[in-house]
Amino acid sequence: MMKLKLKLSLFNLLSKLFFTALFLLLIPPVIERINLRQIDNDLIEKREKVIALISETGIEPFISSESSDAFGSYNILKEEFISLEKIETGENFNFIEETSRLIENEEITYRVLNYSFRIDSQMYLLEVGKSLTSILDAKKNITSVILVFLVFIIIITLLTDIQYTHFLLRPLDKITSKLKGISNPSLFEKTPVKTTTSDFYNLDKALRELMENIDELFRKEKEITVNISHELLTPISVLRSKLENLLLKQNLEPDVSVKIEESLKTLHRLQSLVNSLLLIARIESHQFICDETISLNEVLQENIMELKPIAEDKNVILNEELTEELHFSGANRSLIYSMFYNVINNAVKNTPAGGEVTVNSLLRQGRFIVNITDNGKGMTEAQKNTLFERFRTKSEAEREGTGIGLAITKTIADFHKIEISVISEPEKGTVFSFIFP
Amino acid sequence: MNVLIVEDEKSLASEIAEFLKLENFICDISYTGLDASEKIAINLYDFVLLDLGLPDYNGLDLIREAKKNKSESSFIIITARGAVEDKVKGLDLGADDYLAKPFALIELLSRINAVARRKFNIIASDIVLENFTILVQSRKLCCGDMEVELTKKEFDLFYYLVINHGKVLTRQQLYEHIWGNLLDDQYDSNFIDVHIKNLRKKLNVYAPAPWLETVRGIGYRINLNQ
Repeated sequence: MMKLKLKLSLFNLLSKLFFTALFLLLIPPVIERINLRQIDNDLIEKREKVIALISETGIEPFISSESSDAFGSYNILKEEFISLEKIETGENFNFIEETSRLIENEEITYRVLNYSFRIDSQMYLLEVGKSLTSILDAKKNITSVILVFLVFIIIITLLTDIQYTHFLLRPLDKITSKLKGISNPSLFEKTPVKTTTSDFYNLDKALRELMENIDELFRKEKEITVNISHELLTPISVLRSKLENLLLKQNLEPDVSVKIEESLKTLHRLQSLVNSLLLIARIESHQFICDETISLNEVLQENIMELKPIAEDKNVILNEELTEELHFSGANRSLIYSMFYNVINNAVKNTPAGGEVTVNSLLRQGRFIVNITDNGKGMTEAQKNTLFERFRTKSEAEREGTGIGLAITKTIADFHKIEISVISEPEKGTVFSFIFP
Repeated sequence: MNVLIVEDEKSLASEIAEFLKLENFICDISYTGLDASEKIAINLYDFVLLDLGLPDYNGLDLIREAKKNKSESSFIIITARGAVEDKVKGLDLGADDYLAKPFALIELLSRINAVARRKFNIIASDIVLENFTILVQSRKLCCGDMEVELTKKEFDLFYYLVINHGKVLTRQQLYEHIWGNLLDDQYDSNFIDVHIKNLRKKLNVYAPAPWLETVRGIGYRINLNQ
């Protein structure tokens, strides 16, 4: 995954590089062609001048029949030359070519115009040449100037691009940071993000409205849960009192007593289910006061003391390794107690005789962690994934519970901003970690 | 002792009354707040069992009124509302205890008795069970000069069975009394069995305790009339 900012900058950089490369490929040949045409025109002009001179003064000043057959003239830097010579051919030439000439041990590339003409039945060849060295040098120079300039432009525009996209995308960053780390729509910040970009404004607005709607739905759902629970508890209470009074009657047949007790047990299941749902709804709607500072070791020790007889009865060793201590503030003691209790109790239940359950506290990267480790049955990945769901299928060991205990633990942890992580392997055991804020 | 039961759920009110009558309480019932308000003003009740969710009255107002009129009744709130604020408010107003619905009738009785002991300054005397003596004040169990070392939970369990001797207590009733119902979900009948097993072991070291009975399929009982 890549950040939008990075993607935009990368795209900008690549597109600039592409156009630069294209520029560097196309510009030099174009310049070269323009230059060559310029030179060719120049050569043609010079030829016209020479021809005009010859027709004015005759060929004699250049080539006299006695002295030589050829005439040549270079300017001082050998950039240009003109040569005239007699030739023995009937053909007419008039073309321009590039050739190299060796002059005073220096090879120079010339653009040469070859032109033949006839004076008094003698053919002459006129060559007008211009050196290409300066052009090639110019081409090289232009290319390097362009290159430097483009690199400079790329760097400057890239930096401004990055800065500008950063500035432009800042509202988006804010919106995403508002979304990050909220477990509940009511925690979404309601102040609008400042922006002049309508897209971001609309996104923020839509999100805020959505969160408000969801929050309202959640609130209603919790309210319904609380109300239904209350409505359910009264009839449960009536039934319970009736059954308890029945059980107190003298001279009941033993099997009737047992049946009444079984009904009470069933009723109790219903009661704990309703109470658990009510507890979760109350925690989620912040009906619990969190203003205590508690010693976590004390809470853990109490838990261990509580469960030790149960563990011993099962022949499970319950170890206590509380090396670190945290005085956790802003907490509700009885909720934190239940949070640990559910997990330690589960660990004891799920560990066969001879097994071990260890409760230890430690500091890692400045955070206080409580680990509850067992070497019991462990869980499959699928079991682990549904662990904190409210009505998951229960394991054999927790027939009597409602299977909602870990959902309660999770709710309490969320409420106190405590992270829970679970590592488990079937037949090897489970580690529950509570990571405190 | 006189008890007024303020509860709009008629069948629940009558069940509570039936139970308390067996325990020799004189019971009166109000189904509405208005009726309760009048009854409290006229009669002298030792206890008012008050449901906060009355259709015509805010239950907390009844406590306010009673306190204003210097009534000496003790209030025990019984409600399904159970919200923490209600509980705190009720106790702040001078209620003596608070019980969330659904509760065990036995637990209600034990709360009433506890409030009564506080109210009338009754110093509970030590209880003798054959070879054993319960020192109620110091919460200790002795056999002759020797102390039977019990954990807090074991003592609570034992004491609850003793004060309710003769009655069969279900595992759930015992569990709720000792652990409350915050850990409702984790209720496990095995907990009580384990503690009773340990308790018996400890008692048997000093003297046999056949009066601590297991009632098959129901629960436990301390039976002194064998």
